[in-house]
Amino acid sequence: MRALSYVLAAGLVAAAAAPVLAHHSFAAEFDATKPITLEGTVTKVEWANPHIWVYLDVKDDKGAAVPWQCEGGPPNTLTRNGWSSTSLKAGDAITINGVLAKDGSKTCNAQRVKLPDGRLVFAGSSGGDNPRQQQ
Amino acid sequence: MHRRLSLGVALALALAAARAVPAGQRGGFQPPAGPTPRLASGEVDFSGVWAKPYVPDMSKDGRDQKGVANLPFTPWGEHEWKTYDAGEGDYTGSCLPFGLTRSVNTPEPMQIIENDKYFAFLFEQNSWFTVIPTDGRPHRTGTPTWFGDSVARWEGDTLVIDTVNFNGKTRLDTIGHPHSDQLHLVQKLSRPDLGHISYEITVDDPKTYTAKWTNTRTFTLRPDWEIMEYSCEENNKSLWEGRIKVPKYKK
Repeated sequence: MRALSYVLAAGLVAAAAAPVLAHHSFAAEFDATKPITLEGTVTKVEWANPHIWVYLDVKDDKGAAVPWQCEGGPPNTLTRNGWSSTSLKAGDAITINGVLAKDGSKTCNAQRVKLPDGRLVFAGSSGGDNPRQQQ
Repeated sequence: MHRRLSLGVALALALAAARAVPAGQRGGFQPPAGPTPRLASGEVDFSGVWAKPYVPDMSKDGRDQKGVANLPFTPWGEHEWKTYDAGEGDYTGSCLPFGLTRSVNTPEPMQIIENDKYFAFLFEQNSWFTVIPTDGRPHRTGTPTWFGDSVARWEGDTLVIDTVNFNGKTRLDTIGHPHSDQLHLVQKLSRPDLGHISYEITVDDPKTYTAKWTNTRTFTLRPDWEIMEYSCEENNKSLWEGRIKVPKYKK
């Protein structure tokens, strides 16, 4: 794990990149102008409606583990796209590209979850009609 | 220059082609072909599990749907639109009923069940449903509701669903287009073949809009899908941890 564990990047996230959140208004909870990249280790996955949540430990500059939580898609849509509650396990090293919550907590909306070998987890789940992606 | 033009044209064509593929047919899926199915009575049978486009903004065109730009707001409607802030209260994020339009707007599929007397939308989103009499009875009166009161009639092979008596607590779409308790919705469904529904919804709300406006969509049959349970409350962390607020309604 790199010492630089998370990077806050200034700039805009394209509106098209914002995930489909039918359950709630994206803008109510997240700030699309605050993208974030998190590199960390999965500690838990909650596979439940209305959205799955991925918990991960991200090391800060001093090497201390900082807990983060990121919202993913709805489990029904993920299931239709071939994913399951075991697609991501505790201990997996992942990189999440997402957007920060407005309240300043260590919470993000995950727009891309990537394993070290480059495989994308939970891809193709922004809508109920997207094709199944690589697992 | 020519190369740039060619790239631009190719991109535009690719985008147009992508939009032309109905939502349920992405990823190579093709719905079964065949004639329009019918009930024993001869009426069109809309039964099936349907993929539908996600419509977060009914004023815009999108995949499998066409909206209306420049909505004709009344002063009251324009004020409601300009002052809406989901951050101050998000009723769907709070797991309150989505209402009729936002249930149809979601990307989750829906099932239609129909017989000679009733037509039912079974929405996967939050496992909600609405049952619509098709036997010619008038609207019920009573306490206004989130989904309103629907009755339907046939105009040839088109089913026309008429809905009134809304409580005014919902929004038309995710982005927050407003409506009042005077909302009157007319949905028209036809099934030109086995695999598709042509869908049209007209918003008629004189308190909010100076004229009626219509959004049209295509639904695609997904016989390979089943409706799944969707409990909005099960793990609504965003609400419990305060990032989403419950709206304050006048009582």
